[in-house]
Amino acid sequence: MSFFDSFSEEREEEENLTVRELLTEMKDISEVIVDLAYASLLFDSNEIGDEVKHLESKMDVLNYEIRSRTMLASRTKEDAIQLSGLLQIAESAASISKAAGDIVGIREINPRNSPFLSFVLRDAEEKILPLTIRKSDMSGKSIDELSVEAETGMRIIAIKRDIRWIYDPEGDTRLKENDMIIVRGTEDGFHRLRRFANGEEKWPTYPME
Amino acid sequence: MADISDGIEEESLEEMILEIKDTSELMVDLAYSSLLYNNREIAEEVFILQERMEEIGDEIQRSAIQEVLNDRDAYKALQIIKMVHSVQEISYAATKIAGVVRFELPTHPVVQLSLRESEVIITSAVVDESSDLADTTLGAIKLATNTGMRVIAIKRGRKYIYGPDMHSSIKAGDLLFASGPEDGEEYFKDLAEGKEHLTPKDLQ
Repeated sequence: MSFFDSFSEEREEEENLTVRELLTEMKDISEVIVDLAYASLLFDSNEIGDEVKHLESKMDVLNYEIRSRTMLASRTKEDAIQLSGLLQIAESAASISKAAGDIVGIREINPRNSPFLSFVLRDAEEKILPLTIRKSDMSGKSIDELSVEAETGMRIIAIKRDIRWIYDPEGDTRLKENDMIIVRGTEDGFHRLRRFANGEEKWPTYPME
Repeated sequence: MADISDGIEEESLEEMILEIKDTSELMVDLAYSSLLYNNREIAEEVFILQERMEEIGDEIQRSAIQEVLNDRDAYKALQIIKMVHSVQEISYAATKIAGVVRFELPTHPVVQLSLRESEVIITSAVVDESSDLADTTLGAIKLATNTGMRVIAIKRGRKYIYGPDMHSSIKAGDLLFASGPEDGEEYFKDLAEGKEHLTPKDLQ
């Protein structure tokens, strides 16, 4: 299969998305891809690095799709002005994902020496850390049902289930016992989330007002 | 300008790398939220951060080259320089996004609609002297528990404190950036501006 085949195959999926959905997806990818890129350095992981590369090419497809779609939608000069603002945003989201791809590429410079940046990243205020879901209030619930980020400030950037990875999980993704999740946030938030994940603390519920 | 470069020289290479990484992440968060709210102040902040980004970025690259001269580890320097370059690309993209707001480029209504899907928003507020948040720590007032909003950065004068923890102090005049669910925003802002106050029960 040539490069163009895979490109057109992926494009068919994206063709059904609206401009709004395309832009939402581009924004979401641009946010998570940078975290994943740092995680690949931090954990010295080829798997995560490959996912970054995959998301980067997906972003190219989305960017192409949104460009052609906005051109078609543009009928008047006013349309064109409004849509060029939109394209500036889309283009910027694509630049971010390209930069994330370059960060992953840093590992290839000289593998013998890569620990330096990994050591540096370990000291960041916003940590990227792995965590395992035990029998707890979290297992069996979806990310949205729990409102993980709103409750703990921690964002789930990836889930490892058996040997499979789920990157940038959707809100309706259910967490399962023994899932390994990679989360991003402060140390305080992480400790709190870990207590929930270990089943040491009940997940708070709020009565409807 | 003298005091700025003095300040930079005291920082280690590691600290500077972390600072530009944190800065670029804050810039992306702020850029998207400036769009969502069509808020020029937040957009302006992204441009201020970009200046800082360029200053430190140059300084890191200079130090990395300096280190090669000392320890002859060219690969390490190359990694650092590439990292700085990528982080700067990210921050530049953030300024392009914020630029749409700052230069009042007309945008299609679909832009705001597509950003609104996110469950978590980012907001900012200046701490008033009369506020319960002035002269205390984040832990003491349990801000996250009481408002649902988590402070992700504090701007004090020209300085930024990233990822503050419960021991971080808050002073009157601080600009707080917080993220959390949309319905926590109003109460958070009112608390910071001194329009609302915490009850003793909130502090238990």
